[in-house]
Amino acid sequence: MISNPSPKSATNIKLPISFIVYALFAFSCSQIILFMNSSDMLIGQFRLPDIWMGAHFLLLGFAVMVAMGAMYQLVPVAFLTPIWNERFGFIQFGITALGVGFFSTLLSFKPSVAIYGGMLAVIGVVMFIIQMVITILSQQKKSLMTITVLVAIISLFLTIVAGLLLAWNIAYGGIINHTSILYSHIALGIAGWFTLLIFGFSYKLVPMFSLSHGFSMKWAKPMVITYITGLIMLLLSFWIQVTFLPTIGWFLLCLGFTFFVLDVKEIIKKRMKKKLDKPFIFSLFAIGNGLVIHFIALVGSLYHIKSSIFWGWLIFLYIFSWVIFSILGYLYKIVPFLWWTHKYADRIGKEKVPTLKEMIHEKASINILTLFIIGIVGLVLFVILQVGIGVFVFQGILAVASILYAISIIRVLFI
Amino acid sequence: MDLENEIQTALYDVIDPELGINIVDLGLVYGISLDEENNALIAMTLTTPGCPMHDSITKGVEHRLKSIEGLGVIKVNLVWEPAWTPENMSEKAMQILWGN
Repeated sequence: MISNPSPKSATNIKLPISFIVYALFAFSCSQIILFMNSSDMLIGQFRLPDIWMGAHFLLLGFAVMVAMGAMYQLVPVAFLTPIWNERFGFIQFGITALGVGFFSTLLSFKPSVAIYGGMLAVIGVVMFIIQMVITILSQQKKSLMTITVLVAIISLFLTIVAGLLLAWNIAYGGIINHTSILYSHIALGIAGWFTLLIFGFSYKLVPMFSLSHGFSMKWAKPMVITYITGLIMLLLSFWIQVTFLPTIGWFLLCLGFTFFVLDVKEIIKKRMKKKLDKPFIFSLFAIGNGLVIHFIALVGSLYHIKSSIFWGWLIFLYIFSWVIFSILGYLYKIVPFLWWTHKYADRIGKEKVPTLKEMIHEKASINILTLFIIGIVGLVLFVILQVGIGVFVFQGILAVASILYAISIIRVLFI
Repeated sequence: MDLENEIQTALYDVIDPELGINIVDLGLVYGISLDEENNALIAMTLTTPGCPMHDSITKGVEHRLKSIEGLGVIKVNLVWEPAWTPENMSEKAMQILWGN
């Protein structure tokens, strides 16, 4: 038998929980802001100060903060490596939370000084990158997952560099490639950071939540190579005018995503747990959405569609139905685990303790997640039909769903 | 009941909180050994390396066994080889995972 020394796998719960609670608040804020500006969304106007505020509360305040919190919890257990410096992590949380809050708010109220909030957020994100790079590089046995997560972290760094350049240009001007930087900022953020991060952790989480064994992960290597190459091609296409470069980029991104789906499909096929938890099924549903959106982007690129409304809504769907939906599903697993470890880990074996499933109200979670699907489908439908009241109502449903979701997650912390 | 059987029975009380099944039926316990001074060594594994429940389950084993009278020092040795396979599970565990 080969024994393994027990690593210190649990991070101080206050660290990931701080990020997650902040993120849930930002999520509700973002949806309320977007609800209040639904008329601008109707005409496909995403590049307006109030929409910027909503979008950055959603992406930075919610998605990035959740990703950071989840990484503080998952990296030690998935990479069997303790977090480099927890105190540094708490300082990083404070700086990032302040920076993201100021930056997102100033984008609406005073865009010309948003750069100062942005700089604070950048310092926070750079601190996070330093923390994670040192932690991950100290992992004894590197895997493909290590590379995927490292590339995601590099993408995050480049995303904020591009974001800072954009904020600088808004404040002082002088940079002529504003549009190229903006497109790079978006692609690096959503495909480079979020997608690769979800890919990397899904290879650990999907088998764990489905109790799958004997799967091959044979597409993982082609996936990493293809997806990263596709991302580089797409980024190049924003800077060099070559006719088929965006199409090649989207083709490779689509292919890479397909490889990932093939692996997930095999993992699920070889699962031991027949009845999967509903929120986890929702995360799997998000993977399907991601594939469809990549395919639509490929078709859009193939037919040289230039409409900013088309790409604006496709990016919205990419973010919401793939990235955000994945996070929403996984959080229903991650938060109960965190709280369970904090509250019940020392009671196991001494008294009867609840299972993770018993810590969430599964029926309520199904209803809330269904509301998100209804909200997104209705929103897109009424934007296509250009019916203002419909957009207002369905963005309202999303705002209500986000508040209910935040309550349902926070509720776990009182069990 | 001898001490080894008592340990085996006690381990049925340690539940994997993710699956809701005890660690014996999951086939996570590889061996129980006792020395002359009744110090216990439990060799066990987890369903996957890097399982987030890592510390909780091993501590749970220690906590549960501490309540057995006459037992000396308890040591849990977490091993990764031989790796856990679904064949390690009991009929009952299989039934819970597939039957629900």
